[in-house]
Amino acid sequence: MDAGHALQAKSLSREFGGFFAVRDVDFTLHRGSIQAVIGPNGAGKSTLFNLLTKHIAPSSGEIFHEGDDVTGLSMPALAKRGVVRSFQISAVFASLTVRQNLELALLRPAGSAWDLLGRVTGKRAIAERADALLERFELGECAESLAGNLSYGRKRVLELATTLALEPRVLLLDEPMAGLGREDIGRVTDLIREVGEGRTILLVEHNMKVVADLADRITVMVRGRILAEGPYDEVSARADVVAAYTGQGHD
Amino acid sequence: MTMILGVPAAVLFGQLLLGLINGAFYAMLSLGLAVIFGMMNIVNFAHGAQYMLGAMTAWLLLTYLGIGYWWALLLVPLMVGASGLLLERFVLRRLYRLDHLYGMLLTFGLALVLQGLLTNAFGSSGQPYSIPAELMGGRNLGFMFLPNYRAWVIAASLLVCLTTWYVIERTRLGAYLRAATENPMLVQAFGIRVPRMIMLTYGAGVGLAALAGVLAAPVYQVGPTMGADLIIVVFAVVVIGGMGSIMGSIVTGFLVGLIEGLTKAFYPELSSTVVFVVMAVVLMVRPAGLFGSKPEQAQNHRQVLDGASTSPRTQTIQFLVMAALFAAAPLVVYPGFMMKAMLFALFACAFNLIAGYGKLVSFGHAMFLGTAGYVSGHAAKSWGLTPELAVLAGTAAAALLGLASGWLAIRRSGIYFAMVTLAFAQMIYFVALQAPFTGGEDGLQAIPRGHLFGLIDLSRPANLYGFVLAIFLGGFYLIMRVVGSPFGLVLRGISDHETRAQSLGLETERFKLVAFTLSAALSGLAGATKAITSQIATLVDVHWSMSGEVLLMTFLGGVGTLFGPVVGAFVVVAMQNYLAALGQWVIVLHGTIFVLCVLIFRRGIVGEASLLLRRWSARPAAAAHPAAALTPHRQPAGH
Ligand SMILES: Nc1ncnc2c1ncn2[C@@H]1O[C@H](COP(=O)(O)OP(=O)(O)OP(=O)(O)O)[C@@H](O)[C@H]1O
Ligand SMILES: [Mg+2]
Repeated sequence: MDAGHALQAKSLSREFGGFFAVRDVDFTLHRGSIQAVIGPNGAGKSTLFNLLTKHIAPSSGEIFHEGDDVTGLSMPALAKRGVVRSFQISAVFASLTVRQNLELALLRPAGSAWDLLGRVTGKRAIAERADALLERFELGECAESLAGNLSYGRKRVLELATTLALEPRVLLLDEPMAGLGREDIGRVTDLIREVGEGRTILLVEHNMKVVADLADRITVMVRGRILAEGPYDEVSARADVVAAYTGQGHD
Repeated sequence: MTMILGVPAAVLFGQLLLGLINGAFYAMLSLGLAVIFGMMNIVNFAHGAQYMLGAMTAWLLLTYLGIGYWWALLLVPLMVGASGLLLERFVLRRLYRLDHLYGMLLTFGLALVLQGLLTNAFGSSGQPYSIPAELMGGRNLGFMFLPNYRAWVIAASLLVCLTTWYVIERTRLGAYLRAATENPMLVQAFGIRVPRMIMLTYGAGVGLAALAGVLAAPVYQVGPTMGADLIIVVFAVVVIGGMGSIMGSIVTGFLVGLIEGLTKAFYPELSSTVVFVVMAVVLMVRPAGLFGSKPEQAQNHRQVLDGASTSPRTQTIQFLVMAALFAAAPLVVYPGFMMKAMLFALFACAFNLIAGYGKLVSFGHAMFLGTAGYVSGHAAKSWGLTPELAVLAGTAAAALLGLASGWLAIRRSGIYFAMVTLAFAQMIYFVALQAPFTGGEDGLQAIPRGHLFGLIDLSRPANLYGFVLAIFLGGFYLIMRVVGSPFGLVLRGISDHETRAQSLGLETERFKLVAFTLSAALSGLAGATKAITSQIATLVDVHWSMSGEVLLMTFLGGVGTLFGPVVGAFVVVAMQNYLAALGQWVIVLHGTIFVLCVLIFRRGIVGEASLLLRRWSARPAAAAHPAAALTPHRQPAGH
């Protein structure tokens, strides 16, 4: 496979009891780009994400990361290769504090996750990185709150911060703006653009303005298949895409 | 006489028939469990007790009112089923928003209460119940003799099972039931009263257990404990079959019965453990069970932990205070009590490591306590090892057992994990019962205390106390450090949201396995030391009721808190010591405490106390913690 591709799917399918949530999808995530997947509810976007990150196993098809076949790897193994995702339903460690959420993410890259006797607070490098992330994401004032008690928007920001703590090379964000207020959306958009430097990002997003702002290329999914692919302006102008997206089209 | 593979044909067929009978009961009970679980997400631990209640009620009706078998067959399921309705309406209904485990804990408590009450009233020995006149005798089939009653049991249970299957899978009523399981709100919107439907389902499930009890009365001895061991085998059946399908539980029930029968004919020594061996194999090759379609979804928990709020310094100070108190305790408290309580406290703390911080609630931790006790006792007695080496040997044995059982058990989570560990522990119990070096029913007696490092004489009370104190404090300190370590943070993260932890590149299964093994080893440390201290190792320490006790100690004291298990252990041991005269009432008390802990006291003593303390303290904002210890999971019922 072409090593210029960050992630690549070859005729990827996933079936749930006879129903194909993703059917025979060929998809390429180009290295260094920001790409978006759009499509109506239930189109299979999250399932595609789950497949690409090996959260679930494909029924058939292959997945490549930087040219290597990673179809048989586990989600942690892929994460170790630098492919990290966020979840559509915000995923934070609810009983840990905001700071602990970040520390937890930082432990493995720092090689301390298997330390059974040390103290988390004793790791200088981790503490400094956590401080930097808290500041950058403006989470400083709630650093000691339990993540489960944060507002929805804060949880999303924390999740993004936790994901970025790993310095991933490939970042998959499932609806990062869902549930955010207008102000937050602007901020998070800037953040994503900022961290996009030198990284590859794939995002699922329903907010078209965000998609237009951020994405170099978009992919439209409908009913488990890819309907169209290309630059935003070109794709969004296509009649079949508009029809599919507004739910008026029948094919 | 015809022989088949070296076994007389009559014996083989006889055992197969017996297996089929047992299988009929497994099928009926696991069917009821599956129906109740499917509808309410509650693992009805009381199912065995309700089966027993069915048999006991039939016996009572006959003995005191002269009401015979056929009427009992009709009346008893209705009576016991009605008690199920009340139970659902007034107790279980409060649990639907909580983690599934609370349902299992509560019904476990209820089972203890029922068993204890009936033992008090009628003694623990079994009572005979005669076969109704119509079904006396039997017929000769040529290759074997078939008693009529046994033929009837098989036919009746098949009829019951298939009727249930038909109602649920093929009728309109069943369609509503299944729809209500999927989407209670929607069904409610169609004008069906979901809560009432759930109540009736539970009542029907309980009635089914009682019916099985009546059918069983003439076959087995009728007694208060007849359901307890059975339910554990039924759990293994459920794990083997997977809780997914009704037909699956029926087929698996009969299958397991037949396998047991075959084993009894060809290799009787293995007959009581074969179910658990089959379970282990199934877990290895098909973790979701033979008929289970999907592995259960990971639940996301939310729990406020004590360790999160106290700084390492405060913890160290608390630890030192405890050490000083315990060192001085023999001046005022009977040292024997202190040693016993400290060892149970260590056991409970070890259990809490995996149950509280890893959120993997094991129902079989007694296997580690007991195995280590036997091994260290044997090492000290037969090999003549010094106490520290004997304790080490016991601890190592428990760690190995933890590694092996954990490797299989962590393939499942939540209630399945609880059932798998319980089943493995039962297997160890049977091994301990039969193995040559455990002394069977008598256990190991007169284990020498010996000289520590060959120097310090442990038969001197002060030395012995110091030895136990050092082991307790050492074990506790280790657990405290692990909980506060990066590893501990990872463990808590995994119990919060396993998938998220995986997406961060953490191989969660390995962390869980190491934590489980560590917990097993520390439980073993307690058990091994206990054997040396008390100089005996018996079946009590491997019995499931011991696994229940450690659960009780931990939940009573405060699961997921550092000092909770210590407090819980002291309370429970004190209860046993000072209330020993109450006999079986202690079991009723245990059961009642379980029920209360689940219903109103979910944080336990230490958890509730530290919450009060926090509320009291100046910062009001800090008290905004989530109300329940575990998050709402799913809500089958409307309001
Ligand atoms: N675990 C599962 N079991 C059964 N069906 C599933 C499962 N996961 C997804 N599906 C089905 O697959 C289809 C695609 O779901 P998916 O979540 O991928 O859609 P999506 O494009 O992300 O939608 P949304 O925009 O609403 O997030 C849906 O019809 C969904 O019901
Ligand atoms: Mg989605």
